[in-house]
Amino acid sequence: MAAPVPIGLKAALLDAVRTKSGMVGTGMLGFLILLAILVPVFAPYDVIKAWGGTDAWQDNPKLAAPEWSEVFSGGKHLPRTIFLTPAGTPGGFLKFRTTENVSDGKGNWNNFTFLGLKKTFGFQADDFPSEMTVYLNTMFTQAGNLSKPPAISVIFQRPDNKNLTLLDDTPRLSTTDINRFPNTKSNAYAVSQPIKDTPSYKILDNLREWLIANNVTTRAEAYDPQFYVQPEVLLFAQLDRSMLSKSTAHVLKGDYSLRIELVGFENTDDANARGIVFGTVFGLAGTDDARHDLLVGLLWGAPVALAFGTAGALVVVLIQMILGAISGWYGGAVDELVQRAADFYLIIPTLPILILISLLYRPSIVAILFILVAFGIVGSTTKVVRSIVLQVKEEQFIEAARSYGAKKTRILFRYILPRVMPYTFALIALTVPAFIFLEASLSFLGLGDPVLPTWGHTLGLAYNNGALFYGFWWWIVFPVVGIIFATIAFALLGYAFDKVLNPRLREQ
Amino acid sequence: MGVVRHLAKRALFLTITFILAIYATVVIANGGGVIDKLLKDQIQFELRQRYANDQHYRQLPPEKQQEIFNTTYNATIEARGLNEPFVAKSFRYTIDALQFKLGLAINLHTSDGSRDVGAIIFERLPRTLVLFTVANIVAAVFGIWLGLWMARKALSPFDRGLTVLSVTTFIVPPWVYGILFILLFGFTWRIFPTAGWVSAPPPPQGPITDALPPVIAMGMLFGGFFFNSYVRAKYRRIGYAVMLGGLAVAAAWLIMPYDYYKDIEWHMVLPAIAVAFSIFGSWSYTTRNLVLQVMDEDFVFAARAKGLKERDVLNKYVLRAASPPIVTSLALTLVAAWTGAIITETVFNYPGLGQLFFVAISNFDAPVVVGLTTIYALLLVLTVFGLDLTYSLLDPRIKAMRR
Repeated sequence: MAAPVPIGLKAALLDAVRTKSGMVGTGMLGFLILLAILVPVFAPYDVIKAWGGTDAWQDNPKLAAPEWSEVFSGGKHLPRTIFLTPAGTPGGFLKFRTTENVSDGKGNWNNFTFLGLKKTFGFQADDFPSEMTVYLNTMFTQAGNLSKPPAISVIFQRPDNKNLTLLDDTPRLSTTDINRFPNTKSNAYAVSQPIKDTPSYKILDNLREWLIANNVTTRAEAYDPQFYVQPEVLLFAQLDRSMLSKSTAHVLKGDYSLRIELVGFENTDDANARGIVFGTVFGLAGTDDARHDLLVGLLWGAPVALAFGTAGALVVVLIQMILGAISGWYGGAVDELVQRAADFYLIIPTLPILILISLLYRPSIVAILFILVAFGIVGSTTKVVRSIVLQVKEEQFIEAARSYGAKKTRILFRYILPRVMPYTFALIALTVPAFIFLEASLSFLGLGDPVLPTWGHTLGLAYNNGALFYGFWWWIVFPVVGIIFATIAFALLGYAFDKVLNPRLREQ
Repeated sequence: MGVVRHLAKRALFLTITFILAIYATVVIANGGGVIDKLLKDQIQFELRQRYANDQHYRQLPPEKQQEIFNTTYNATIEARGLNEPFVAKSFRYTIDALQFKLGLAINLHTSDGSRDVGAIIFERLPRTLVLFTVANIVAAVFGIWLGLWMARKALSPFDRGLTVLSVTTFIVPPWVYGILFILLFGFTWRIFPTAGWVSAPPPPQGPITDALPPVIAMGMLFGGFFFNSYVRAKYRRIGYAVMLGGLAVAAAWLIMPYDYYKDIEWHMVLPAIAVAFSIFGSWSYTTRNLVLQVMDEDFVFAARAKGLKERDVLNKYVLRAASPPIVTSLALTLVAAWTGAIITETVFNYPGLGQLFFVAISNFDAPVVVGLTTIYALLLVLTVFGLDLTYSLLDPRIKAMRR
């Protein structure tokens, strides 16, 4: 037979947690809480403050899938990001530097610096890298018209010895701190997708000439406006006609080298380099179009969602509960007023007005919480609690309290509210997801907190950047899983409370 | 007379609520004057541009230029009614909105170029109504059917599994499912179109009768279902035949030539599934619980004692007694669907009211926002009033209580 309905607060809590759904829900919630505590320790808030900038993320590949998604690629080994670390670090570029003073025979001495940087790296993946970038720190005399920038050339050596010069350049930026990366005075050369009118743009023409020299294509074809040069594919592909398209090209595995040669016109000239061959997979949750490590954003979504949802639900449900109890207990004009207010709040279109406010005033996440609470002072909980109070009112222990002369307020707060409390647990647990989703909805529309990477925010960015269309599934699926996981935890808890407190639903 | 007085009281209250809600919207939509400032800046900018191209104006001395500019600017402000104090203006806007004089949009327009807010709204209203009504009906019928089944097999693993599924699915809003469904059915498996209302370019225009088969199919399926709920076992064969016929019509529709109307309906399938998927759980869970509660009542016991079949007891006695709360649930999910449409339609890029609302607020198009909120509030008020009406008809206790 069904056990009696637990009366106390503690009894209800314990009974609910002991049911199967209660246990699962508590377990999931416990996991989220653990995450919420651990995340700020391992990924401090500084990371989130840097979320809006680009500096902290520029070493990550763009739009990379999670590393473990390799399992679904049919046994392919997908490229990870390869860092070509600067000279002076273990396994970094090898550096050779010599200076020479040459006389022109008329008593003038020219001072030269010859410098070579070389880094060999193995490339064994079955797919092409997504990008390649070289950063070069140079030190030279920089004084307006008297500047003496060195001449550099970047040479790419392939396993099949079909080497090519990527570019020749005279760097514009000089730094005294050549060994420091990242450095605001680095000369950055984007090997893939070079921007027009930057020194790197010569790479495209150099690649065309290299293809012509190796009889892959004709001059006419190579300089046709339709001809599309993809450096990151051509550099790492087997040398034949199939290399012209990414879909047909084959990866040339083996040891590649990046060589940078520099001729400086002062004895003091010096240089150091750093390169990144970006992979197509990254970390546990991949990256987005701004190279953010999505794992950090996803993990930070948990404490934000938990705090927002619980705070909002607690405050709203407790206020509504107290108002509902007052309405049911005192009756009369108070009752009428509260009930009409509840009707009014149920009728006004909350979400449209909320979106409107968010758009006009751009509130922070805390302000949004206050607005939501203001819109939830009375509502469905008021009605539910009122009906429960109307029943409780007739019970004997209330009559007993009345008979020994307890004040009305005392009965309300000491006898009725504790009795009603357990019922509100279910309501709180079921209101938390509503708050999480409200925040997610606003963030999805781009109207949420401008700084925090909440789940809804990530989802909105993914949607607006065509993640669905291009198939960047990780950008969509993980935030959705996060939101659904959190809400299911609360839904199960709410269901467990419902089951314990609603005797007809109890298991026998 | 009690019912009439009760309804009259409700109508009065709902009208007051309606007026207050619209006044609140007018105040917020104009941002306490923010929009007015935007509009004034815009007028000033437009005037400057116009005069910058005016050779005659540019040859005048600077004082004269300033004078002409100020005169024109003030006249424009006056003509647009922007110089009144905000409070007076807000009352004027509210009265206009209440009379459905929705005015002209600032930026938005209908597909044939009209800037009349009423025309913009009524171009899109049917699309939202059709989509959400169909989705709600499908979810309701499926949910009630499932809930009855769960109640019949109460506490079995089947019931427990479906209860947990219902409880967890209805808490997630449709747009979250929408995104997942678009990713899976739209882009990965390429079964349904991914967004929009018609393909671009639209397929050839067919006869409007091509739009009928899905309507007929759905009508036959639900008709057969309801028929079977209320007739004796030996007539149920008819209901099953009708439902089979409905399936056949649906199958025939699938192989029909792909024309304009089929295209529109095909575009509505995925959003409708997403909406229905997020609603059916509340139906099945509510129905199950209510049925289990009613099942303990004496009159059900009496019906069983008469020797009626379990199925007839459920359909004729239990479900009828449980229907008033179910109607409440229907109204409330409909209300939630109206406002939830904003993000669902944005996700599916479905050109209904919800998407219009988002486009309007992104463009600071205050007249459209106010017009839409008026329509939303009206729909909500009408739904709640309809609920009151149904309640007073369905539930004899209300009559008794109010007398």
